Amino acid sequence: MIRLAHANPQVLEFFWNGRRVQGRQGESLATALLANGIRTLAWTRKSHRPLGYSGSYVAGVLARVNGVPNVRLDLLPVTAGAKVDMQNCWPTPALDVLRLSRLIPASWIQGGFEHTNLVPSGSALFQRWEALLAFLAGSAKPPERIGQIAVPMARRLSADVLVIGAGPSGCGAANRAAAAGRSVVLVTRGHGVARYAQSFGTPGPQLDERVQLVTGVEVFGAYREGELLLGAPHDATLGAVALEADEIILATGRRACPPVVPGIWLPGVMDARTALLMAHEQAVAPGVRVVVVGTGDEHAVAARLTELGVNVVAVRPVAQLHRVEGRHRVKAARFADRVACDAVVHAGPWLADASLSFQSRADGLLQLREVRDSRLHTVGSAALADEPLPVATASRHAALLCPCFDVSCHEVQALVEQGITDLEVIKRLTSCGMGPCQGQPCWDSLRALVSARSGLALSALPRPTLRPPRRALSVAQAAGLVDCVEPLQ
Amino acid sequence: MTAAHALPSQASIIIVGAGIQGLSLAFNLTELGVRDILVLDAGYWQGGASGRNGTLIRGAFSSPEWTRFFAHSCHLWQGLSKRLGENVMYSRRGYTMVGERSSTAAMLDRTLQVHRECGINSSLLTATGLREVLPALAHERVSAAVHLPDSGVAPHHAAMYAYRQACEARGVKIFYRTEVTAIDQSAGRISGVRVGEQRIATDTLVLAGGAESNRLAQLAGVPLDGYPMRLEAMALEPMRPLIGPAVALLDRLCYMHQTARGEVVGGAEVAERAQHTLNADVPVMAATAKAYLEMFPQLGRARILRQWAGLVHISKDFGPLLGAHQQLPGLFISAGWCYGHAGAPAAGELLAKAIVSGEVDERMRPFAVDRFERNQPVVEPGIVLSHFE
Repeated sequence: MIRLAHANPQVLEFFWNGRRVQGRQGESLATALLANGIRTLAWTRKSHRPLGYSGSYVAGVLARVNGVPNVRLDLLPVTAGAKVDMQNCWPTPALDVLRLSRLIPASWIQGGFEHTNLVPSGSALFQRWEALLAFLAGSAKPPERIGQIAVPMARRLSADVLVIGAGPSGCGAANRAAAAGRSVVLVTRGHGVARYAQSFGTPGPQLDERVQLVTGVEVFGAYREGELLLGAPHDATLGAVALEADEIILATGRRACPPVVPGIWLPGVMDARTALLMAHEQAVAPGVRVVVVGTGDEHAVAARLTELGVNVVAVRPVAQLHRVEGRHRVKAARFADRVACDAVVHAGPWLADASLSFQSRADGLLQLREVRDSRLHTVGSAALADEPLPVATASRHAALLCPCFDVSCHEVQALVEQGITDLEVIKRLTSCGMGPCQGQPCWDSLRALVSARSGLALSALPRPTLRPPRRALSVAQAAGLVDCVEPLQ
Repeated sequence: MTAAHALPSQASIIIVGAGIQGLSLAFNLTELGVRDILVLDAGYWQGGASGRNGTLIRGAFSSPEWTRFFAHSCHLWQGLSKRLGENVMYSRRGYTMVGERSSTAAMLDRTLQVHRECGINSSLLTATGLREVLPALAHERVSAAVHLPDSGVAPHHAAMYAYRQACEARGVKIFYRTEVTAIDQSAGRISGVRVGEQRIATDTLVLAGGAESNRLAQLAGVPLDGYPMRLEAMALEPMRPLIGPAVALLDRLCYMHQTARGEVVGGAEVAERAQHTLNADVPVMAATAKAYLEMFPQLGRARILRQWAGLVHISKDFGPLLGAHQQLPGLFISAGWCYGHAGAPAAGELLAKAIVSGEVDERMRPFAVDRFERNQPVVEPGIVLSHFE
């Protein structure tokens, strides 16, 4: 069984594609669907490959919930009677004709649907062709017309010290500042402090009661040379938050990025943080037979998962993973040998999210580059050097680099062979990283791949510009900022 | 696209700026038989305004000068895929100018008069017509709307790819990340440019450097009207078609459209201090979101994928500065572009003709580089832009 012994007994019924399914109180919709054996939650945009709950690719958890498109199922708790529907299907999820698009040769749709000379503009057919492309590319039906949406007013928060991230390092920094008599705001996107640490079974840190804790708010952008930061609650009916402080401390940790190997996008692959939080807080295992790979802490992660009741069948270094096998979901992990499994959890490679630090340091007229010292001090694991992403040797196996936009390793390799290694140019030629994840994590995968194939050092391959708000902010929430952030005069 | 080669030591014409203006000009010059064209750009491919704009192509404005010029350009866009041999994806989906204030409705009435004089296909939409064209719009807020059925959009990445491919296929040499550091003159006319230590000889130089135009004119030692201006835009997450035509919300200085891949892309303008940077800020995003929310309530729950800033070069009257520079023989200018994506096919064609034959087309003449010295600005009330200095 995928649901673990310590699961909440209270059952809540909801609907997936019109079908009744049972979740438990406290589970997210994504977790509840996984517990029901439903692994494919979304389809990639062009080739309709299956995507699931991975922790890495946000496109895999976007669905329509109660008529609202593109809702993140991993952040929304199960509620009784919720209507959850798969997107990017036509006419219905059960009879999805769009799945035939898998038969289209990959070379026809490289670089997006749009780089094609099949039907050039100016011909009589083009407007109809474009309408078809727009229908396919749009993936999600627009919401129903429901009249005016209320504008959730943004609020300002300022303090002597602002700490972003409530892991042990963030809590420690906040406590030290509070003890020194300074006013402190601590912001976390989670619903509590040190969730990852606690999912390991270690007690959470005690937070000084003078620290103002703001939970459930993702800080997504640094503006005005880092003088102003913006955050927003995931619940779009709540207003955004404009943050200012004399001292800003980034304790945002690192995330486990998927290694660049074939099959890594398949439903069943999950990062260690997501897997541990799910097993610990929501009592659902990532699979029935789980393989754990990592860059050093795979044994600790595997031991903790086992303690929580998860059946771990193999523990290996991530560098030994050749590929993940399966057509529609994970069937095996291929090392020198083949390990049959239905889930692969990767504990690493660990990389920090560079967005806020980049935005606070960047400037330029021709290209944004990190030119100034950051106002943001980085502490904890976020300050550690990024780990290298393993890149599998070129093979016939399809390896998706950017699953949201179906950008394959082959497509990028072909550009590198033409001498094109500028990541900004590759982004524009392939649309890599322009989907809902906005390059997280696929620009890191892209860098690693281009570096491996061209021989250029990572330092010679800056990421494309990291632009906020990376879908952390809705239009209504942004409108609520009008009276909160004054234009510079 | 070809990999980089070595810089030549001379060229028949050097164009500084490989954005859509520079490339369109280079393409049109090859069509007139010019060879050995060199295009130099300090940035990367599509890194400037040509890769950051809203991709709208508007074929008519409120003044006869702008309307004649941009109507010609819009016409050229419609046949551009065939001419370049690559798909520029010009989408003839229409362009709707929406007014909310009664004063704007009056301005749109006068605009229609200009369109009639210029032979433009346009119409004032009735309430029913507006519902057909833009069913998702909050119609109760609209005082008047003018629709241009021949206008539309073309994604900048498709257009820039097509122009670049067509230029390179015709032997134009294009260098990105190659900054011109000096402009040489001898005997009172252009004699070449320098890229660091290297000198490249030419007797004809075109400055098409977008926001860098003033700096480039300084290198040439000549005055140039205008200043760099930062504009911002944002993209929403994709959804299936909701908004058909390109839309200008005139009273909000806001423009938008839904791309062929489902993202709603657009921007607005707010009164703020000029910022000379590619960094984005909060107020424009907030104002754009407010405009979307009030005018297209179904967008309210959509999430914003990304926002970005771009720099354009703005002249005193917002019109392009196009043609020979009167003070330095051999120097030509293509600057002042805030509708440069829309205007590129016409600008390239007419400027190429002026360079090769010396003949200045009537549609280009009003935008002469020295018009402010002659006190002959072009007054255009129908643009979605404002001086907030």
